[in-house]
Amino acid sequence: MRNMADKKNNEERLERLMNRLAESVLELSDETVLAEVNESGTDPAQEAETTRLVLRQASKNFDSLEKRLCNLGHAIDSNDWHYVDGTYDNYCLSCGAWVSFETATGEIQGEAFDRSCLGNAYLIKRQEASR
Amino acid sequence: MTHLLSLIDTHPQLGRPNPPLIVQTPETHSTPSKRKNASPNTALVVENDESLVKFFKRCLEHEDYEATFAANSEDGLRLYRDCAAFNVVLISYSVPRENGFGIDCLGPQRHGTELAMSIREINRSQPMIIVALDYRSASEVPRPSELMDIPLLTDISNFQLRHLLAKIEIDRAMGALTDSQLVRLKRFADYRVRGLGRAARGRTGQDLLSEACLRTLIGAGSTREGRHWNKYVDFVWHLTGAMRSISNGWKRQFEAAVRRKEPEAYLIPTFPIQDAVGREYSPLSNVASGDAGPEQCLIEKDEEDRVLAMSKDDAEATQVLQGLLDGLKKDGIMSKYGLDENQYAAVVKRILKLVGANGGRKR
Repeated sequence: MRNMADKKNNEERLERLMNRLAESVLELSDETVLAEVNESGTDPAQEAETTRLVLRQASKNFDSLEKRLCNLGHAIDSNDWHYVDGTYDNYCLSCGAWVSFETATGEIQGEAFDRSCLGNAYLIKRQEASR
Repeated sequence: MTHLLSLIDTHPQLGRPNPPLIVQTPETHSTPSKRKNASPNTALVVENDESLVKFFKRCLEHEDYEATFAANSEDGLRLYRDCAAFNVVLISYSVPRENGFGIDCLGPQRHGTELAMSIREINRSQPMIIVALDYRSASEVPRPSELMDIPLLTDISNFQLRHLLAKIEIDRAMGALTDSQLVRLKRFADYRVRGLGRAARGRTGQDLLSEACLRTLIGAGSTREGRHWNKYVDFVWHLTGAMRSISNGWKRQFEAAVRRKEPEAYLIPTFPIQDAVGREYSPLSNVASGDAGPEQCLIEKDEEDRVLAMSKDDAEATQVLQGLLDGLKKDGIMSKYGLDENQYAAVVKRILKLVGANGGRKR
């Protein structure tokens, strides 16, 4: 019991410290931020470029998802992404095929990603089902 | 010189800090503040269909755009040359070259794409949208390979246009980030992940930043899912808020996995240790139950001791670190150790230098 309490305590203390340090980074002047990177032996321009690439890559991953779906003729409502446990799910408004997108890895799965839109087949099925 | 280094208290539910106080300083500050002064965006719409012109006017006004309209590609190019730059240019795929010229609906439509090519020659980075409502999917729209990266509007519904506009805004905001803002984002992400300890499950600061970006893109046209960015909010402020919320979510997921006694909660070592021949191993790899072993306590205590040891030659830094570890707030630390605002700011700077985002820890 002592170990569990200590562990929790240590974890919380470290988390608190790191979160506070993260917040304090936001309050430093531009010069200080860049100077600190310099002093740690890293080129600030290089570190900035690496970070820029991370953002660009994320944007590229999302672009490729959208373009692929668009090229296959699927109509995805961008308001209708549903988030569950790190994965976004959506479906084609025309044919009902689903697609899922994992944000951490950029991995895309689903029938909407593998085949062209079947047009109004989904609507027809829905209409038949409602009869 | 007065620095603002108030360590912000985060709101546990909103995951965003209280707005920081504004302190005048001779140094350059691009530190995030919530509100951003943004002038209305501008759009050039080249469309000859009157009903669509009305539709775009309404939609663009709703999205805070000031729109200029042209009914043919020649007028469109002239307006672009005279009034550029626009935040976005919408070009109808089947716009005529001049007024009074009929469109051969069965023939190839090329004036829209020619206009897009001309604009691209003037400004390669001009964001554009090609309106191709007569086509069911983007793959059916014939266009030169140079224009394949331009998004197509194939759906008249408002959500697609709103999403495309928001995406353009996000890309612009990302491109406009300065070196210091990018470095600040990286450091922020690294500290947040480091604070997660085991709950990071092998993720890095880059993973956190990437996820924040993706959720922003997913939330581009939506206020319900993803992380919707309001363009009147500073983009760095937005991303840091997203990172707080995501890292808190990762922690909750980890805690849930521990409660469910899922073995994978322990599979990824948080603090890799190297053996005598330099191979990394995890002392946690054999821990398979919800009861963390004594090794974990030792490792975390060790990390805490290591951080404190770094500041052993700096009495003030040790005091402030101890205060932060004990959960004291800025005012509490200042009064406990008799520090004034400037001294406190200087000590925090020294701590950041000592600890560093990855300071002294092998990953």
